[in-house]
Amino acid sequence: MTLLEAIDKSMIKVPLTAASGKEVVEELVSLYADREGLLPGRKDEIISLIMARESLGSTAMENGIAIPHAKIPGLSKPAVMIGVSRLPVPFGDSEHKGTKIFFLVLAPEENPTEHIQILASIAKLCSSSLFVRMLESAKSADDVYQLFFD
Amino acid sequence: MSKKIPFSKILVYLDGSEGSMTAAMYSILLAESTKAELHASYVVNTKALSDLVKSRVFVDQEKMEYLEDLKKDAKRHIRHTERLAASRNLEIRTSVMEGSPHKEIINYVKQNGIDLLVIGSVNAIRSRREELTSENDRMLRTAPCPVLVIRDDDDIWAEFEEDV
Repeated sequence: MTLLEAIDKSMIKVPLTAASGKEVVEELVSLYADREGLLPGRKDEIISLIMARESLGSTAMENGIAIPHAKIPGLSKPAVMIGVSRLPVPFGDSEHKGTKIFFLVLAPEENPTEHIQILASIAKLCSSSLFVRMLESAKSADDVYQLFFD
Repeated sequence: MSKKIPFSKILVYLDGSEGSMTAAMYSILLAESTKAELHASYVVNTKALSDLVKSRVFVDQEKMEYLEDLKKDAKRHIRHTERLAASRNLEIRTSVMEGSPHKEIINYVKQNGIDLLVIGSVNAIRSRREELTSENDRMLRTAPCPVLVIRDDDDIWAEFEEDV
């Protein structure tokens, strides 16, 4: 599965309403939990795995983007959630001015190649300052979706 | 004409996907019928791992974990391909390389005189963004030899298993 195949409009949230990093992760994982009809315990497990990974080293970048991710036991295929916040959210290192764009990636324990390719595609896209500016100015999930399928 | 027609050396690229396993089966059937020499290669994408560390998406510890995961995945798929070839009494030369998949495969093609590269299906064009071009797409565009793209099709599996 490629990044484009993993992107689902119902997994995009614009604008995010969370005010902290943990809340952003909760808000984005909720999209996935709702789509998949997950029990609260499973949702909490996913949030814990993401936060545990973040505690090893923040995925926040200097350009206001973060790519929190984790391997999730029992997951059958990768899932990508995208959130855009109007205001910068403190996420990870305090030296950054805050994060506005979040890509949250859930990966199965199997097929590491797919997971790496999805993360690498996101990282490559986000190295384009033009793409980042367009993402930041997206007003809806439709706007974000169109940026990928342009 | 010194070159064997249609092909004398076939390389199938394995990436751990179901599509690449279908390509492996098709290559085995093709090598069997053309008497071509068959090669299979898996490339552990260490370029992507390094890029992910550089962009701070991965921490070093995570890079090492994924490297191990990828190596295990490579071993598993190479072993499986060897067993598929053995089931048809076909010799196969397998290799695991590290680096950027399309570059490593193109180098292998050049260094080993491969005259047909077989890959799993390429993605439908859903975006014009260069950053989203897959490794299979890059191989298709840059290979110095003919490239055969195999659609992931149950018929190939059925045909393969028919005579085993």
